[in-house]
Amino acid sequence: MFRTQYDSDISIYSPEGRLYQIEYAMQAVAQGSTALGLKSKTHAVVVTLMRSSDELSSHQRKIFKVDGHMGIAISGLTADARVLLKFMRNETLHHKFVYGSDLPTGEVVSSLAMKSQRNTQRWGRRPYGVGLLVIGYDGDKTHLYQTSPSGNCFSYYAQAIGSRSQSARTYLEKNFKEFPELGLEELVLHGVKALKESSGKETLTKLNVGIAVVGKEQKFEILKPNKVQSYLDQILQTEGEIEIENENENEKDEEAETLELKLD
Amino acid sequence: MSGIGTGYDLYPTTFSPDGRIFQVEYAHKAVENSSTAIGLCCKDGVVFGVEKIILSKMLVEGTNRRVFSVGEHIGIATAGLTADGRRIVQNARQEAKNYENFTSDIIPIHVLTERLSIYVQVFTLYNYIRPFGCSLMIGSYDEEKGPSLYCIEPDSVALGFYGCAIGKGKQEAKTEISKLKLSEMTCKDAVKEIAKILIKTVHDETKEKEMELEMSWICKETKGKHKLVPKKLIEEAVEWVKGQENEED
Repeated sequence: MFRTQYDSDISIYSPEGRLYQIEYAMQAVAQGSTALGLKSKTHAVVVTLMRSSDELSSHQRKIFKVDGHMGIAISGLTADARVLLKFMRNETLHHKFVYGSDLPTGEVVSSLAMKSQRNTQRWGRRPYGVGLLVIGYDGDKTHLYQTSPSGNCFSYYAQAIGSRSQSARTYLEKNFKEFPELGLEELVLHGVKALKESSGKETLTKLNVGIAVVGKEQKFEILKPNKVQSYLDQILQTEGEIEIENENENEKDEEAETLELKLD
Repeated sequence: MSGIGTGYDLYPTTFSPDGRIFQVEYAHKAVENSSTAIGLCCKDGVVFGVEKIILSKMLVEGTNRRVFSVGEHIGIATAGLTADGRRIVQNARQEAKNYENFTSDIIPIHVLTERLSIYVQVFTLYNYIRPFGCSLMIGSYDEEKGPSLYCIEPDSVALGFYGCAIGKGKQEAKTEISKLKLSEMTCKDAVKEIAKILIKTVHDETKEKEMELEMSWICKETKGKHKLVPKKLIEEAVEWVKGQENEED
């Protein structure tokens, strides 16, 4: 109702007490392609669907390393993500320099949230138009955080952001209760299956799927395309088996139909 | 909800013809859109309770905290835009640290409240920054002075309370609180009463999703330190509330 008047500046509340600029910034996150994260007791994984603007260009990277024990997957404005990434890298490096240990994931996410909030309160600034999924392993625990342009940060067992992420989220909600006990391989497979749900008509290939893992005795690592392909093959194999089952069922249905016609 | 303020409500630097600053009033609305938080001053301490709506099943329990510690002896509960609340808490922690460095003594709650309300007020003065969209309840317990509870609203008004509620269900909660005899209640009883108000009176199960109870206290038992209420006590309180419902049926 009041959109046009109250939505051009971050420093203006609408009569209902809403800040439209923040909501619009969250739309920018929803426009980015899907990124999802999930964690078990020992490992945390992010899986992303990368876009390329045309056939000749490479796919836009969405996963970045922050430190040996921490990394992020982004959805939204890549340029804004670069600023936040630089901030996170500085914080973790500084901590390592001063204290000689890994900066806990929760702390850097908190600082990031505070930084994002500052941009929501001054006229002349805009909220960061990017949502991050931060995975990390410290203090013998895995972490998965989601940050948003509003400056809120949440800790999740599994989460998906970006366009068509609802399908991935539905898949994750159905299965997340069994994640804590899974090993790395099965965890990644779940992630790729969830990504398939929100990939729509786009086929998943080793070029447009990004996977990264971190965990116990596993430094943050972005998987090479060949490793990604091996996971995709496993998914296709199980799907192939399901397809054959379906084909058999369809054949039976066709036979039943022809019988009915004869009776008529 | 039509244009009562239209034309005079874009910036905090504009007064309306009847002397109101609409941007600050809209900031209040932002608080009213959020879930409820309650603070009670009991015989032996202060207890906070927050109704946290669970937006997703996959959220880790206890994430997105709404109660914070400032120093060891002061607790703050927020309602409204959480990010704004955390910004004010960051400022409060800085104030407490500076006071301690300067005076070698812990900051008294009334001093902290006054400094925070001045900080909040500054954001209602200029057209290039917006007011904070959150209310805070600040509580502390002292052996000599007893329990203290203050509430700061987005317009920076800070009042002392015996019992206070902020957020969506504050009206219903305040009605229930006024029925309680706070000066005779212990903190353990208060935990149960707050759970009852948040679960039964304020939270609408049909309309809203599930809720999580976040509670903290500063009392004689915790020796004047702000701590989260032990999980076991919260679970007992929830059981007690359910038992009450069955009795009434």
